[in-house]
Amino acid sequence: MLDWTFCVDGPLPIPSDPTLLMEHPTTAPDVPLKNRSLAALLALTWPGMGHVYQGRKAKGLLYFLCIFGLYAVGFALGEGANVYWTWVNPLRNPEHFRLYYLGQFWVGLPAWPALIQATLIHQGFQPLFNGFMAAPMLDPTMDNGVREVMQEVVRRVFSLHQKYGGLKEIGDIYTTIAGLLNVLAIYDAFEGPAVRQEATSTADVSSTSEAESA
Amino acid sequence: MWVPLPEFTFLLGLINAYWFAPPLILVISLVYAASRHEAWPLIFRHATRLFLMIAGILALVTVILLVINTQV
Repeated sequence: MLDWTFCVDGPLPIPSDPTLLMEHPTTAPDVPLKNRSLAALLALTWPGMGHVYQGRKAKGLLYFLCIFGLYAVGFALGEGANVYWTWVNPLRNPEHFRLYYLGQFWVGLPAWPALIQATLIHQGFQPLFNGFMAAPMLDPTMDNGVREVMQEVVRRVFSLHQKYGGLKEIGDIYTTIAGLLNVLAIYDAFEGPAVRQEATSTADVSSTSEAESA
Repeated sequence: MWVPLPEFTFLLGLINAYWFAPPLILVISLVYAASRHEAWPLIFRHATRLFLMIAGILALVTVILLVINTQV
């Protein structure tokens, strides 16, 4: 026995008994999820890649264009200096803790070089590629070679405000939201779409309704 | 090695900050709708509705704030 409830796309059958949910899958039928864990991992690694692996290529392309596109524009708005991480305790050193990166991280590979740079600096090594995606932070304990590179990073980041005003902040928002949106894409790769049953038209829904009442 | 796009960034800097909102709303709407549905007509329908709703709320809040600002 099914109750009718209304969602964004019209009426969808919901079992009145919660135990019947097992009989009614929570994902759309015929969505090939393959190895769901691998798909989720691929989606985390690169936006859209999990869906391409599942054969949902158009959706993968949509996620890639939307998420990576948003990230790339945000990255350009900060000239690459707005995606970085620091290994600091947020309770002891809140001004150097990079909250935005907790969102940016989920974009995947495009954001992960920041983790490598932060780890190198934290261990006392010189960052790679002249401090590309390194945190603009100077520490008295840094040796001269590292300090020289980091001074250039700091100078560059602070010059962004003089050149572009608030653009860097918009870049922060773009890159962070891109990462958070990829969490939705990862979930979609793992679980399939969130709807209960796909009905592409009201005719499909009404025919289902007649069948249920019969 | 820095991003070799300072010219591109400079061009973006010429755009009024408000114009960065519609693409962001569009992307959020599309990705959210795509995570809910598999059928493209439903994705686009849901995304359109969501885009209009978010943009409408933002516009309404902006108008209210502007009205308040003119009265202060």
